[in-house]
Amino acid sequence: MSAAAFSDAAIDGVVASRVADAASTDEVREVVRATAAAGEALVATGRGRHLAIGEPPARCDVLLRLARLARIREHHAADMTITVEAGCTLAEIDAALAAEGQWLGLDAPAPEETTVGGLLAANLSGPLRASHGTARDLLLGLRWVSAQGEPVASGGRVVKNVAGYDLHKAHVGALGTLGVLVEATFKVRPRPPHERALVVACGDARSAIAAALDARDTVEPAWLEAASGGVLGVDGAAGIAIGWLGIEQELDDAERRVRARLERVPGASVVRAVADADAAALRLRLAELASTPVAAVLRVATLPSALGDAIAAVARDAGARWAAHAANGVARVLVDEASSVAELVAAARPRLERDGGSLVVERATRAVKDTLAPHGGVFGDPGPGRELMRRLKDAFDPGRVLSPGRYVAGI
Amino acid sequence: MWTVVDTLADKAPVFDNRRAQYDTLLDRMPPIAHTPPTMTTEAQSPARPSGRPGTSDRLRAELAAVVGRENLVEHAASLMVYECDGYTLERAAPDLVVLPRDPDEVARVVRVLADAGVPFVPRGAGTGLSGGTLPVAAPVMVCTSRLQTIESVDVRNRRVVAQAGVVNLWISRRVQADGLLYAPDPSSQGACTIGGNVAENSGGPHTLKYGVTTNHVLGVELVLPSGNIVQLGGAVEDRPGYDLTGLVVGSEGTFGIVTRATLRLTRTPESCRTLLAVFDSVDAASEAVSGIIAAGIVPAALEMMDRLILQAVESAFHAGLPIDAGAVLLVELDGAEAGLEPLAQQVRDVCARHGAREVRLAANDEERTLLWKARKRAFGAVGRLAPNYCTQDGVVPRTRVPEIVRAIAATAERHRLRIGNVFHAGDGNIHPIILFDERDADEVRRVLDAGREILEACVALGGSVTGEHGIGVEKMAQMPLLFSPEDLLAMTRVRAVFDPEQRSNPHKIFPDAKVCVETRAPRRQAAM
Repeated sequence: MSAAAFSDAAIDGVVASRVADAASTDEVREVVRATAAAGEALVATGRGRHLAIGEPPARCDVLLRLARLARIREHHAADMTITVEAGCTLAEIDAALAAEGQWLGLDAPAPEETTVGGLLAANLSGPLRASHGTARDLLLGLRWVSAQGEPVASGGRVVKNVAGYDLHKAHVGALGTLGVLVEATFKVRPRPPHERALVVACGDARSAIAAALDARDTVEPAWLEAASGGVLGVDGAAGIAIGWLGIEQELDDAERRVRARLERVPGASVVRAVADADAAALRLRLAELASTPVAAVLRVATLPSALGDAIAAVARDAGARWAAHAANGVARVLVDEASSVAELVAAARPRLERDGGSLVVERATRAVKDTLAPHGGVFGDPGPGRELMRRLKDAFDPGRVLSPGRYVAGI
Repeated sequence: MWTVVDTLADKAPVFDNRRAQYDTLLDRMPPIAHTPPTMTTEAQSPARPSGRPGTSDRLRAELAAVVGRENLVEHAASLMVYECDGYTLERAAPDLVVLPRDPDEVARVVRVLADAGVPFVPRGAGTGLSGGTLPVAAPVMVCTSRLQTIESVDVRNRRVVAQAGVVNLWISRRVQADGLLYAPDPSSQGACTIGGNVAENSGGPHTLKYGVTTNHVLGVELVLPSGNIVQLGGAVEDRPGYDLTGLVVGSEGTFGIVTRATLRLTRTPESCRTLLAVFDSVDAASEAVSGIIAAGIVPAALEMMDRLILQAVESAFHAGLPIDAGAVLLVELDGAEAGLEPLAQQVRDVCARHGAREVRLAANDEERTLLWKARKRAFGAVGRLAPNYCTQDGVVPRTRVPEIVRAIAATAERHRLRIGNVFHAGDGNIHPIILFDERDADEVRRVLDAGREILEACVALGGSVTGEHGIGVEKMAQMPLLFSPEDLLAMTRVRAVFDPEQRSNPHKIFPDAKVCVETRAPRRQAAM
């Protein structure tokens, strides 16, 4: 199955009656106003790569595509900020930044097909979040078109700013339910001169997570992944990959000290070290796992120290593919068998939620999503803030024009 | 009850126009059935209402029943302590201060206030710098300073749960032996509390590399203005649902009172190099700042002090600072030991290229500590130079630091004021310190004019009117410089999600009282 087939133009089988392409904020405003005036609903999308994320839309009359709203508005390299329109892909941004020796430090899956709007709406991230944070940490300001068709902004274009509420944070991960994102400003960083990673075989998920955290306490890594053996290409059920960024002296030192530490971890054995382009390729491959076209990708979140147990509980098949951001307590488990997802969720979600964690069916086919209703849907319980979340949606979009039904708690 | 030194009333024509648009939008909003709190008739300021509802004996008795009479501050002399925070240009003592002893008492206090319909002002240690705790039209102040428990420390997962009254620095001290720290380090970190840090989204010198408060807060317990307690976020990342924690951080107490926060801890850097680069002029130092950033170096901190500050600080702390220099840069690099020396050499080279006459390296921890003490206590040291000082806070894109520094000098000259500069140069976050004597009414007026002009210059250069001190009451009038009427309306609607009656820290952040009184519920219909 190709990635394109996974993200069909229809959203979970709900086919929009019209498709609109907007190339400017004014065009977005026109579409939103017309949709709202007609009492209809719209879903905004970039290149459609991540539309499998979220609940099926309750309604979708208009599919609003933003792939043509794709200019890099400002890149003042010495200020280390970049302002881009929502339809820019991460690959385009990376190319512009690379020319100045910079990067965003956000390694979401499918950078060629992932737009800034999609990155923010779905809150995508990758292994680098261990050191660089997620979109919320890099986003300085945002412009969106409100459900009323008005242009609205929060934040700004400077790296430090506490004027007004951080409304942009509410849009991150909101799946477009609070506004149509049109422009974002990010802080950027110097592109590190070198990258290196150690790949380590570690027995099972529990020992892999434990070894990863031991490695983290030895030398602070830039990224810290654990994964099933097949994903990492190591013998045995699980392994870890630890990455560092910096100048060669630092990387030599980090590698030496972590190797020494791992020698004292029973069952852990360093399989290989990879450098620069190879290390980056490994990191990006791990990031891609989250958007693998399978029946369902489950996202498990708990405290880092409890992640090994959580993975063991969810990735029950011996051959299950999974990868984890060990330092963040977040893992993704691939499920090939559509019929087993609901049962997995029913078995593992209550306990994870009780301990403050979550199990989200991050991507799935419509058939799988339809089996989840009795178990809390794709998201599960958003926690005690759910009533405030409903009120927030009402404050932004009382007419439920924007992606209705796609989010948590019926939002 | 409160004296207005200057109303900060909107005088600049540049935002008159936007203000008019904003008022027009407000006028288009449907009328909302709500009786505003009864205002006493005191001298009216044009900028904000000067009266507020009173506190009845019955209210006092009910609050005393929650916290004990000994935890109410009622006498005028004692209330003076609470008449301002670090922003001293406006003062107003509350009628009553309540000092709850734990998070649950905060909720019970707020419930009593909700039942009585009484507005309140949350307050931590009172170190804020924008008048965020000034009681405007709110008679009761609720202080979280007694909520001093660090409730849990989880070293393996690098998390800590702290009550709102925990002092920022206590956390780093508590986890120091475990090789961890709490990264946001405002200059007031020895006094300011986590509750205040969360409210203001506080920064500090090391936020250049490590981020500000919002990057380190994973969850909060919030007492809503209704008295209900809600847990937002938590120790685990990636909780599904809107990032309400991210909204609460920096909301300046207008969403309710944060009583607990779950914070991310950061590994203590293995090693660091602290350099002091000495320049003949502020201009040269500013250019070196741009040079360091442009070279792709992200120091842990990159601070500037000009001559006026150097002289004040040196006479207070004897840190060996060159008092004849035009400016110094304090540059801290941290990380793994193996990478630091090449980086330090790069910084030396850039500074030399920009005319540094000397670059010193702190030889040991003692020297480093002394340099940082001098930097962080610079504000206090300035107290020696004049009876009063006012710290401004603005931001410009990093490359515009030289321009804003020149603009500040020109402003000082124009208004016949002494202005020192000590600031987070690497972030473009400026802190001009304006010296004055509050007994000189004309000078006070010039201070306010100068402050406003500097902020306008920041905005003109593409920056912001506050990088870390907040809007409070101080900068309400400047909000329309940055935000359109629609932007501000979106914010007031979000405020109404948390505080529909506008009772938590009323009359803050937004440009005028009208918003606070009239924007009580989201508009149901679009302005189309």
